[in-house]
Amino acid sequence: MLKVSGLNAGYGSVNILWDLEFEVKDGEIVAILGSNGAGKTTMVRAVTGMLKPSSGSVQFNGDELSGKNTRYILDAGIVQVPEGRQLFTEMTVLENLEMGAFNRKTKEHFRDNLKKAYGWFPRLEERAKQAAGTLSGGEQQMVAVARALIGEPRLLILDEPSLGLAPNIVDDILKVASDMADHDGISVLLVEQDITKALACADGGYVIENGKIVLHGTAKELSENEHVKKAYLGI
Amino acid sequence: MSTFLQACVNGLLMGGFYSLMGMGQNVIFGVMKIVNFCHGEMLMVGMYLTFVLYTFFGIDPYLSVPIVAVVMFLFGALIQHTLITPSLGTKSFTNLLFLTVGLGLLLSNGALVIFGSTYYTINTPYSQTYINLGPVTMALPRLISFGVLVVISSALFAFLKYTTTGKQIRAVSQNPVGAEVVGINVKSIYILTYGIGVALAGVAGSLLTGFYTIFPTAGASFGFRALIVVVVGGLGSIPGAFLAGIFLGLLETMVALFISPSYSDLIVFVTFIVILVVRQTIIARRR
Repeated sequence: MLKVSGLNAGYGSVNILWDLEFEVKDGEIVAILGSNGAGKTTMVRAVTGMLKPSSGSVQFNGDELSGKNTRYILDAGIVQVPEGRQLFTEMTVLENLEMGAFNRKTKEHFRDNLKKAYGWFPRLEERAKQAAGTLSGGEQQMVAVARALIGEPRLLILDEPSLGLAPNIVDDILKVASDMADHDGISVLLVEQDITKALACADGGYVIENGKIVLHGTAKELSENEHVKKAYLGI
Repeated sequence: MSTFLQACVNGLLMGGFYSLMGMGQNVIFGVMKIVNFCHGEMLMVGMYLTFVLYTFFGIDPYLSVPIVAVVMFLFGALIQHTLITPSLGTKSFTNLLFLTVGLGLLLSNGALVIFGSTYYTINTPYSQTYINLGPVTMALPRLISFGVLVVISSALFAFLKYTTTGKQIRAVSQNPVGAEVVGINVKSIYILTYGIGVALAGVAGSLLTGFYTIFPTAGASFGFRALIVVVVGGLGSIPGAFLAGIFLGLLETMVALFISPSYSDLIVFVTFIVILVVRQTIIARRR
């Protein structure tokens, strides 16, 4: 479904990503693992069109997305839950979710998708009329995930969903992600620092260090890998 | 008593203009975080546009409001696209300061070159029509202007609150990164916003021509007052800007009535400074 090859990207003359290669298949949860500053968010920005890659290709179901704008990539079906949530804090929860419907198709399906989103996160229905900024961190993350679901993703990118949240909320959110992968055939690209949590729900993963992929394998292989154990799991 | 009521009504009306100017400035500031220092000059351009439409094509000043709105919107959109958007990339406040101040100078001096320093007025058949509302007498042009102002302000408020595009404008003003994430074309929203802001200023100018003289620097005092309205009414708040504008208009006429018309500018700006200081102190205490 998603096939990234030879991807280079950076800011100005500073190159951050070096020949990135990875792949996400239909219905799969793939984890991109790495510590702070490894280039994970830059990768997300390059894949979603927020940053123009300097070279390389981003193939999505045979369509070349590299160099396309964010709207085109959303229409293609790649929707992200950005790092830091990026909500519209003075707008209500419902208005935030409305903004997730970016094209005619998702606007037409809004009612149904909203019901579905409230099904995943009942708390949001109670808070629908509240300004998003007044919600707790966990609830805000739910809004961000729900906003992405309203956009009917075929590939959902979760950028650091665990950042600053209580463990049980992270579990809830990751559970929604794996349910979606199982039932709706959505693929998930899970970008995480918390490697234990990520590998617990992912099918496979890639480890990124200094903007380069240094390892990849199934979740089991990675959690048993000596380098991963030493560098990330502290074992 | 009737003088007092008369002053109230006049203040309310002038306040309506400050509100309209302030709302335009507020929308622009809210979305792009820039101060449009040529906002007053845009009002002046709207005045001359109305004057030209009246003198050469015989179009009534009130009928020219929609024409002025459209022309000024396009003018603003063009300026945004060709001048402001490229400068936004530099993230330099001084660049944008010089750009909008320079644009203002260009416009007012351009008007001086084209129209000279003559003070023009538009005399319509109904200019001298007065309407008696109890103890208050009001010139018909002022009454119509106030009605149009209220309608436009409410329409702007409803547009931002309920329409998809209005929500997108608010989204960009609250979180441009989030807006990009959900596929909003931030640059088009900038163009739209600046167009709307400039159109509001132009419409204010057009409505003013019914009872105000037209000259190259006519916009300056309105431009300054628009800034006060934005700061007093609260950044990004349309109802706040509306109320602040009305307050400012009332304050001015009260000063003119009870003290002296020549002090009204002085008192307005002193009040502004006092409000700023008091608010800053309150904010500092809360921390």
